[in-house]
Amino acid sequence: MQKNHHIQRFLKGWKIFIQNPLGKMGVGILIVFMLMALASFFVPHINPMYDPMTGIDPDIRISTGPSLTHLLGTDNVGRDLFAQLLEGAKVAFIVGLSSAFFSIVIGTVIGMISGYAGGMVDTLLMRVADIIMVMPSLVILLILSSLFGQFNIWIIVFIIAIMRWPAVSRVIRSQTLSLKHRPFIEASRVAGASHLRIIFRHIMPNVLPLAFLYMTFRVTSAILVEAALSFLGFGDPSQVSWGMMLQWVWKSGHMFQAPYWLLPPGISISLLTLSFYMLGRAMDEVLDPRLRKEGQS
Amino acid sequence: MALLSIKNLSIGYQTKAGMLKAVDNISFELERGRPLGFVGESGCGKTTIGMALMGLLPGNAHILGGTIGFQDQDLTRLNEDQWRRVRGKEIAMIFQAAMNALNPVMRVDEQVIEAIVTHTPDISPDDLGKRINELFDLVEIPRARIKDFPHEYSGGMKQRVIIAMALACNPKLIIADEPTTALDVIVQDQILKEIKAIQKAMNTGLIFISHDIAVVASVCKDICVMYGGQIVEKGTREEVFRNPRHPYTKALLGSYLSLDNELSVVIPDMRETPDLTLESGCCRFAVNCKTCSSACKADTPKWIDISRSHKALCCDETIIRNSHE
Amino acid sequence: MSNPKKYPLIEMKAVTKEYSPRTRFFSKCQNKVLALNSIDFSIEKGEIFGLVGQSGSGKTTCGRLLVRLEEPTSGSICLNGSPVNKLKGVGLKTYRSKVQMIFQDPYQSLNPHLSIAETILEPLVVNGLGTAATRREKVLHTLEIVGLSPADDFYDRYPHQLSGGQRQRVAIARAIVLDPDFIVADEPTSMLDATIAIQLFQLLTQIRKRFDMAFLFITHNLAAANYLCDRIAVIHEGHIVEVNTANNIIQHPEHPYTKRLIQVQPGFDFNG
Repeated sequence: MQKNHHIQRFLKGWKIFIQNPLGKMGVGILIVFMLMALASFFVPHINPMYDPMTGIDPDIRISTGPSLTHLLGTDNVGRDLFAQLLEGAKVAFIVGLSSAFFSIVIGTVIGMISGYAGGMVDTLLMRVADIIMVMPSLVILLILSSLFGQFNIWIIVFIIAIMRWPAVSRVIRSQTLSLKHRPFIEASRVAGASHLRIIFRHIMPNVLPLAFLYMTFRVTSAILVEAALSFLGFGDPSQVSWGMMLQWVWKSGHMFQAPYWLLPPGISISLLTLSFYMLGRAMDEVLDPRLRKEGQS
Repeated sequence: MALLSIKNLSIGYQTKAGMLKAVDNISFELERGRPLGFVGESGCGKTTIGMALMGLLPGNAHILGGTIGFQDQDLTRLNEDQWRRVRGKEIAMIFQAAMNALNPVMRVDEQVIEAIVTHTPDISPDDLGKRINELFDLVEIPRARIKDFPHEYSGGMKQRVIIAMALACNPKLIIADEPTTALDVIVQDQILKEIKAIQKAMNTGLIFISHDIAVVASVCKDICVMYGGQIVEKGTREEVFRNPRHPYTKALLGSYLSLDNELSVVIPDMRETPDLTLESGCCRFAVNCKTCSSACKADTPKWIDISRSHKALCCDETIIRNSHE
Repeated sequence: MSNPKKYPLIEMKAVTKEYSPRTRFFSKCQNKVLALNSIDFSIEKGEIFGLVGQSGSGKTTCGRLLVRLEEPTSGSICLNGSPVNKLKGVGLKTYRSKVQMIFQDPYQSLNPHLSIAETILEPLVVNGLGTAATRREKVLHTLEIVGLSPADDFYDRYPHQLSGGQRQRVAIARAIVLDPDFIVADEPTSMLDATIAIQLFQLLTQIRKRFDMAFLFITHNLAAANYLCDRIAVIHEGHIVEVNTANNIIQHPEHPYTKRLIQVQPGFDFNG
């Protein structure tokens, strides 16, 4: 009975979302990349030379252009570029989605607590958020990296999440502030509900849509940060990511000679981040209260 | 001679749920000297009528039929340019919670000046000054305060400014849509007295829209009672309020609480909200009516004369004729 | 819980509420705002007590203090003779189970994400009362009491599917589900049509009769207070100016403000 209601609302939102041209394009591009990421699991099994990290075509020792065996060509040690691109898609999704997810979880909880509690707690949490927010995350990562050596991908994910939760928490906090004094929240207090219950049962469902919206933006920035890190040589050396590909094309001096090597990862980064951005904009339309039929008439 | 003559007007809102007929085939006339009141509860369409008379219907509203005759023009046929010449100058509006409509960063007199100058750009500075003083005197705002900002005014004073702005260009017709609902009882009393006095002094036509029947009774000489987009009873205020015939009018009067009528309160049993998607020519009150028969739900209600000026809308004549106490 | 004859159910003693700019911002004043100035009144068990005032008079603040949404700056509030304004924890929760509130805006006082059942169940769940089965029964029973019938039908609906009057009935159901002794009704009908409002008044009277519940009926409408209440207090700018039976307030008002309120009530006098 109640599940039906939630499903119905989701479907309603989906309809609005998919009719939006940005939503359509965003989802379209996203599906392409998702397929690519999935394909990356199977491609090395077709032929070991397609392994993005270790696969070497015995016949090729230098970077070559697109051919029938290598759709995008090979890099300077003979590894298949297309396989690398697929692997990069997988890494981008993992990094993007996980760090976005973690930063949303942290940001939402802190934002809700800060907004609801007010007073000293609020001031303290928001000052911490401000401090973190003004720190340039990329530079911090570079510094940490040079101090502690090259990081495992999951450490990178975690650090990006830590650096990015403040922005989320600010938005969630202001949403919480506006909800805090709504009569239905006060009614719960009068009924005897504890603060924790109010936060997680009443405030959270109302801020969650906003949190998801912001998640799309976090994904974008996470992918870019990881790409930048890898490009600069501080990424996880055991992972092939698009940024890593760009690092290799640059380091091996092929930047201006091998467009088939340079362009695919660069365009992929742009397209994937663009698709998440479009998703976010389309979601915006769904969440806009003016489109809601329920609630205030 | 009627200042305003509305015939068979229907207005609908196009929504995802279908066409909502907010106003269904209404007709009435307004004379200058006789303020006309529209009473009814939420969803009855009275505000929509007010909007239509100002050309301020929202984008998804459509005039489905009928005419609005005002000074040799049919207002249903005006385009936006033509409306600009009418709105504010010939027909002006005082609307609800209008105090929120004042620009907080502009002085009060400047806002009234703006209203005047928009319609009479060639007015001389002297005439303008005189007019401003006249207007603020009319609404009883002390001259010393006309250069204040809105936030320095009380709620009642802000409402008076809105009234002054409505009167600025000497309109022929004023529409007051719940002008005192957001005000305290004491202030409401003052504002109502002022509206009555101004209407008499300037002899403007006045349409007064409210859900509060006592407020309407204190200002208006003629009443239209509305339900679900239809006028269900109309007549002079004495006729409608002393001798109500339509079941809804009686429910409305029965629900009204005054300081001395506890014994005559009748609690209606009205649970349903009116269905605005119904076809034209249906009785919209049937769903809540305790005296209706099964025929009522299928028949077309018609006007039944109780006196020359007093009529009620019903499918069943006997209900109306027999309903006086 | 027994109520010793000498104590009224609810008592407000010299209650004062001040707002300073840091806690609440009023644009006109830079200094403290005195919302309530030494308020005294008491309410007996089973009584419907009216608090009549215009906007800014402090009537809503009174209600909020009684349900402990806010704390008085000084003075005390007593339930059956024991002061409650310093209660915390379990004591506060017990108090809350005896004193409930109906809010003014039916469109904002129900969480749009919760079904009607979940909204009315909440007080029971929060106070750990009953089992899932008994709670469901209680909610269905309460829905019938407030006139939302058939209860099964309304159980799973959501607020947006209900009209304003129906939503307010849900708010009333939520307030009575804990069987409280006292309910603060803060302008419960000011956003509803007159024909709906009067039906809700009838419901409140029925509830009072059936459960011997006391009500504080906060309103700006003196006529409504007269209709519903046994006694009325008139409040103006943070002061109680007069308290008397409803009949006496209307027939023999003493304070000039009360007289003025009576004078300006629009009536059907048809002159002018």
